[in-house]
Amino acid sequence: MKYILLMSGTRTGVEGYHAWSKQDLEAHMAALKRIHKDLTASGEFIAEQGLAEPGEAKAVRGEKNGVPVTDGIFPESKEFLLGYWIVEVANAERAYAIAGRISAAPGPGSKPINMPIEVRQFATYESKSQ
Amino acid sequence: MKYILMMNTMKAGHGVPGWPKKDLQAHIAFMMGLNKELHERGELVSAEGLAFPDQAKLVRAGKDGRPITDGVFPESKEFLAGFWIVEVDSPERAYDIAARISAAPGPGSVPLNMPIELRAVMSAPPQEMV
Repeated sequence: MKYILLMSGTRTGVEGYHAWSKQDLEAHMAALKRIHKDLTASGEFIAEQGLAEPGEAKAVRGEKNGVPVTDGIFPESKEFLLGYWIVEVANAERAYAIAGRISAAPGPGSKPINMPIEVRQFATYESKSQ
Repeated sequence: MKYILMMNTMKAGHGVPGWPKKDLQAHIAFMMGLNKELHERGELVSAEGLAFPDQAKLVRAGKDGRPITDGVFPESKEFLAGFWIVEVDSPERAYDIAARISAAPGPGSVPLNMPIELRAVMSAPPQEMV
């Protein structure tokens, strides 16, 4: 079963990361690297990706005279995707456990952030036909 | 440059299962045709659909590091329905692809003109963080 683990945040929340000390940032990245290593070793890793900051985001809606209609203005409350992990696991509980580890990655002062991670299964024939 | 094109939906707005079969088939045929074309141009990195939002879970690490799952989301929450990752020469080409996805046919073959969120994907973490 394939799952995507989505890490999201509001624009204001993302800008909070800029205030982290270098040491805290390094500890955070090191924890994510360990998770990456463990998932690779267990054969569950498929992909992970960080996204550029929300300031770069565009919403595209249809075309006008063959030109895409783009908009860069989003509501303050909008949650932007910051990054994701795609894993192939034996069951949903394992996906939740991995999400829990990501959630507990350290933030400022080495405290676990306990940020919410959205866990979504990839569509399969079964889930589409429900 | 890599971009992720995200098709978002509200839980209530996820009316796709109620479409007539003919309209659903036309929609899927459009998406498959587009994916084939992107693949042939060497621009398609991946395309995935996600299971419906009612199966989504939010996971946070608890004090003991165990995952705490929650399936209750605000009505206004946007859910990711599917995404494309493309590798293109310019942002404009990514906007063009997003506009084509946006204009995918809906009920009665009318273009949906749904908003597609477009975000640059980071190629690698900053060197000092690795």
